[in-house]
Amino acid sequence: MPETIIQVRDLVKQYDDNTAVNSISFDVNEGEVFAFLGPNGAGKTTTVEIIETIRTATSGDIQILGMDVNKNRTEILKRIGVMPQDFSSFDRLTVWETVQYYARLFGSDVDIDGLLKLVNLQEERDKHYVTLSGGLKQRVGIAVALVNDPEIVFLDEPTTGLDPRARRDVWEVVKDLKKRGKTIFLTTHYMEEAEVLADDVAIISKGDIIAHGSVDGLIDQFCSTIHVAIKGAGPGVKEIADEMSLVSESLGNGNVQIEADNNEQVVEILNSLKNKNIGYGSVDIRKANLEEVFLKLTGESLIDKGDPK
Amino acid sequence: MNFKLVYASLSITLKEFYRSKASMFFVLLFPIILMLLFGLIFQDQGETVYDLHVRDLDGGVNSQNITEMLGNTEIFNIVEVGDEVGDIEDAKDYLTEHKLNAMLVIPEGYSDGFDAIMIDRFLGIPTNDTVDVVMIYDPANTAAMTKISILNSILDGVNKAATGMPDVLVLEMETTVSDDFDYIDFFAPGIIAMSVMTTALFGTVTINTELRQKGILRKLATTPLSRSEWLLANILYQLCMAILSTISIILIGVGLFDLNPHLNLFLPLFVILNVFAFSGIGMLITRFVKEAESAHAAANAIMFPMMFLSGTFFPLEGMPDFLQTFAKVLPLYYVNEGLRAAMITLDEGTLMTSTVVLIILAIVIFILGVLLTSWKHD
Ligand SMILES: Nc1ncnc2c1ncn2[C@@H]1O[C@H](COP(=O)(O)OP(=O)(O)OP(=O)(O)O)[C@@H](O)[C@H]1O
Ligand SMILES: [Mg+2]
Repeated sequence: MPETIIQVRDLVKQYDDNTAVNSISFDVNEGEVFAFLGPNGAGKTTTVEIIETIRTATSGDIQILGMDVNKNRTEILKRIGVMPQDFSSFDRLTVWETVQYYARLFGSDVDIDGLLKLVNLQEERDKHYVTLSGGLKQRVGIAVALVNDPEIVFLDEPTTGLDPRARRDVWEVVKDLKKRGKTIFLTTHYMEEAEVLADDVAIISKGDIIAHGSVDGLIDQFCSTIHVAIKGAGPGVKEIADEMSLVSESLGNGNVQIEADNNEQVVEILNSLKNKNIGYGSVDIRKANLEEVFLKLTGESLIDKGDPK
Repeated sequence: MNFKLVYASLSITLKEFYRSKASMFFVLLFPIILMLLFGLIFQDQGETVYDLHVRDLDGGVNSQNITEMLGNTEIFNIVEVGDEVGDIEDAKDYLTEHKLNAMLVIPEGYSDGFDAIMIDRFLGIPTNDTVDVVMIYDPANTAAMTKISILNSILDGVNKAATGMPDVLVLEMETTVSDDFDYIDFFAPGIIAMSVMTTALFGTVTINTELRQKGILRKLATTPLSRSEWLLANILYQLCMAILSTISIILIGVGLFDLNPHLNLFLPLFVILNVFAFSGIGMLITRFVKEAESAHAAANAIMFPMMFLSGTFFPLEGMPDFLQTFAKVLPLYYVNEGLRAAMITLDEGTLMTSTVVLIILAIVIFILGVLLTSWKHD
């Protein structure tokens, strides 16, 4: 039975007449990667920073490491590591000096070079923070969040704005941390990130947790559709779908996409193709993802609304 | 208060400062420019001898005495005006015609009047009689104003002498035209007070709004560093800046302009108190005014009245009473007065008043800073 390390009950946060967080409850278990997934303005940062003790809840009961966030601030801060959203640091300190400064604030004699190795920043050791690329800056943020050897690490959107390569580097670091037994509280609006990293996902939208579970569990529960994409096929594919009363779509050039409900239907589609002697280039079978779960639950798309790109 | 954390924070801010050529430039530039400016202005004035046109309509012994005495001060170069000026009206015309800014007219009967008063005094007969000399001047001309104020202080000396305390005349002359102090000596303390205030106030506001915008304050809030440790580290940082600018002001003053201040422990004391008070105020501003631009506007709103109303540039004596009263509630007034006393006059009363007022102020502001500011936001 996993130990609960963070327990949130009926958390409400009100900003004037805006309810940023609307009575949410959830648990985070020790040693897991917990992902808080939601679009811009969903209330992720608000929730995380209340748990980190740097904001005050309007109401609710929040326990972390068995302590109340309103009463044991000092003790809690010693045992958690925080990388705030949009982490930034002193421009003209070197990477090493930056990590050293935060280590001194915690009175920690952590092996700084070892820490830099963990986040893969050995080569940047003596570079000024301001000269680093975005991905490297984020990794400094992670290193800084680890100076006190925390039991729980909070990473608020650690990969937002990074290119795919840099994102994957950060993911590796997170996986490594998990291996070292840390509990990781991650917020993100990339469903792929949650899929790759998270043991447990809570989807938050407009201040409410609308779904909570493992990635596979959520997909099975809310969106069990299996996408079967048949490419370069001859005529007659759409008819197979129609016979089985499945939703399908012709994408031109003999490409047809069929939405199957379960594995048996997938087998049936493939068998029909064979029986009817319909030739095809390739078949791509893919489960639904969290993006679709979110779309289904909210009717809205998860990624980067309002982002012109 | 964990001083290790204060020290760690101080050393990284100093490191950043040292590595930023731009901020180094500005911390040193401002006081140096002010000092050069005032130095050049007052270097000339210190050596200037003012022409003073005198029309002696009396021609007696006493009128010649006073003319001679004014010439002996070495501030005035006496230019005697001849017969073409027969009365006050003539003098005004003469002034306009020759584009002069001031003329002293000693009316007829001055010597006799003066003698009469002196005899009455000597015999112990009480009298309210006076003798007048007339200064005709162009009110739009600052040089004329300077001449009038110098003249006033000299005549003040003469008056005191005439009431039977001849040595007071000498004393009065010493403070007015002493060779020991140039004008720059009177301005250097004001420049130090103002540079230190500006650096401390704006430095604190700039650093903290910038760190807030970058989210660094938010990150610091998740560490064991307390708000008061951060406040103290900031103040100590500003103190280092203040020491830099004070030293550069004094070095430039001494090196280029014959600045000749007293150096004693009151100088560092007032610099320290100045920094405490104004960094504290800066910290409070950033607590309540979150946007960088409004925070700077608030700092300006505090700085400008101080600059102009606490006697740094303009002597308070000439100001309306209510402004003089207002000046006495401005912290910078006490820094100015205190530094001037410490570096020039060594006036013990002023030193004590300034010390007490500033210590109380610094403590109050520091406590407010600790109580009112918190890492938590909403
Ligand atoms: N300090 C604040 N004052 C007032 N409103 C706030 C404050 N902080 C957040 N909000 C509001 O609360 C809501 C939730 O904001 P929050 O920053 O928690 O969202 P988020 O999920 O972290 O979004 P993002 O992905 O953009 O970081 C938003 O509507 C936001 O405008
Ligand atoms: Mg956020």
